[in-house]
Amino acid sequence: MTTIIEAIGLSKRYGAHVALDQVSFSIQSGRIVGLIGRNGAGKTTALKAILGLTPHTGSVSVFGLDPSRERNALMKEVCFIADTAVLPRWLRVANAIDYVEGVHPRFQRARAEEFLSHTDIRHSSRIGELSKGMITQLHLALILAIDARLLVLDEPTIGLDLIYRRQFYDTLLNDYFDHERTILLTTHQVEEVENLLTDVLFVDRGHIVLDASVEAIAERYIQVNVATAQIEAARALHPFYERQIFGRPTMLFEGQTREALSGLGELRTPGVADLFVAKVQTETA
Amino acid sequence: MKSLQVQIRREFWEHRALWIAPLAIAGALLTAATLFGHSLTVNVDWSAASATAAASMSPMFQIVQAGWSMAFYVTAVILASIYFVDCLYGERRDRSILFWKSLPVSDTQTVLVKFLVGIAILPLGSFLLAALTGLLGSAILALRHHATLHGALPLWDTMAWLRLQGLMLYAVVVTLLWYAPYATYLMLASAWARRSPYVWALIPPILLAFLEHLLFGTHYVTRVIGRSFSELMNLAFSGDPAAVSDTGSRLFSHAPDPAALLASPQLWLGLAAAAAMLAIAIRLRRYRDDS
Repeated sequence: MTTIIEAIGLSKRYGAHVALDQVSFSIQSGRIVGLIGRNGAGKTTALKAILGLTPHTGSVSVFGLDPSRERNALMKEVCFIADTAVLPRWLRVANAIDYVEGVHPRFQRARAEEFLSHTDIRHSSRIGELSKGMITQLHLALILAIDARLLVLDEPTIGLDLIYRRQFYDTLLNDYFDHERTILLTTHQVEEVENLLTDVLFVDRGHIVLDASVEAIAERYIQVNVATAQIEAARALHPFYERQIFGRPTMLFEGQTREALSGLGELRTPGVADLFVAKVQTETA
Repeated sequence: MKSLQVQIRREFWEHRALWIAPLAIAGALLTAATLFGHSLTVNVDWSAASATAAASMSPMFQIVQAGWSMAFYVTAVILASIYFVDCLYGERRDRSILFWKSLPVSDTQTVLVKFLVGIAILPLGSFLLAALTGLLGSAILALRHHATLHGALPLWDTMAWLRLQGLMLYAVVVTLLWYAPYATYLMLASAWARRSPYVWALIPPILLAFLEHLLFGTHYVTRVIGRSFSELMNLAFSGDPAAVSDTGSRLFSHAPDPAALLASPQLWLGLAAAAAMLAIAIRLRRYRDDS
């Protein structure tokens, strides 16, 4: 496993608004990393810095390349879907395939055709005539047919119905991910990707509030559905977050052992979504 | 090479008018020649032929042939202007720039390909299409004419035709070199504008000229901007500029003089300005972040 993305002291301002404030992180190869945050938390800005699409301060290196200076070389290794709406409406499906095949040395037409054959997309259609779900399928077909080492997805399923969203992630896992490649994605629908991710990066108001692998989360965080009789005992162990579900308190502990908590109630590993909400709310408080 | 080819084709997919309009003109001219060839030839050629000797047919023939071409060149200028203003703005307007940027094509390549399409491929394509249409049109007219006037008129002159095409090609090439800074200025406006690139293309030069006139009462800006076509023709073709005043006849009576044009500082200053504006447009495309 090697480090493929390294960001050090990454900052970005839009006027008075600080989108990213001295952010540092690294991403290893073969991982599926979720960059998770609320709207305007700085997720997209971080992705843009990684892809060389926006000026910033601090340093970013991807495969040892400087994204803003060496974007051309970088784009041979990296694919990204910035938003489903970016395929131009005037382009025909057949021409889109011709174009990507022409400019990308690692594009395999057969793979794209294979993928498209399972959809209702016709080669003669203009992209403007396709439904939103079909445009995403087409974009995915184009991108997945490129043998890239890093795939970056920014809210790839936004505006899609449940069926298309499920298909999208299934295709990603089954047809693309092979533990050599790396996927970095942002989404605000955390529940949909949490079983997919190997690592999470929580971003809130320009800061990283958690950077951990899913295994590390299981070791570090424990969620307890506390028995009513044990509430005071549980609070004595300093949960960092507490909320009521059907009148029963659920508490999140960091760095406690299972043994210490076992008498308090039902122990679980918190889901990514629960942990995110807890982390962001405690940071805000 | 394959990459360059598909990038050029991409421009014609997006800006379909670039190929549809010239083909439509060719179609319309040839249809007109077929349908109305009889009356056209009588009006244009027959009176001339009856009044002059066969020796003086050559200039007349050339003017008819050049007339075929004008429709193509006027269209090409309009198409190129629209194309340049839109080429770096359209991809930001529909946000497809993020798709293009996700592929290994550099900003430099992208901007240069767009410049090449508008400044070279469109005009040279128009030249070829104009020549071809002239050829076919003459053939159609000659057939119609032969049928009605028993071939009394020398409608075809191979040497004159070749000489004319050579002159035309030369005129096209010097014109696009001369007006390259206009093209890059429009591209710059296109890369710069957050909205309404046409306003950005038109307002700054008008404002500059107006301010200069207001503040200094001079007209240098207008003179620099209005690099005149007749100045180009004076430089590009030899002969006494005072002797022949109108451009059309200079084209036929004077020889190309590339040396004079290449020695003129105006040409090189213009090309240097064009290169600088292209460099700025490339930087704008790389660093501009609208989304």
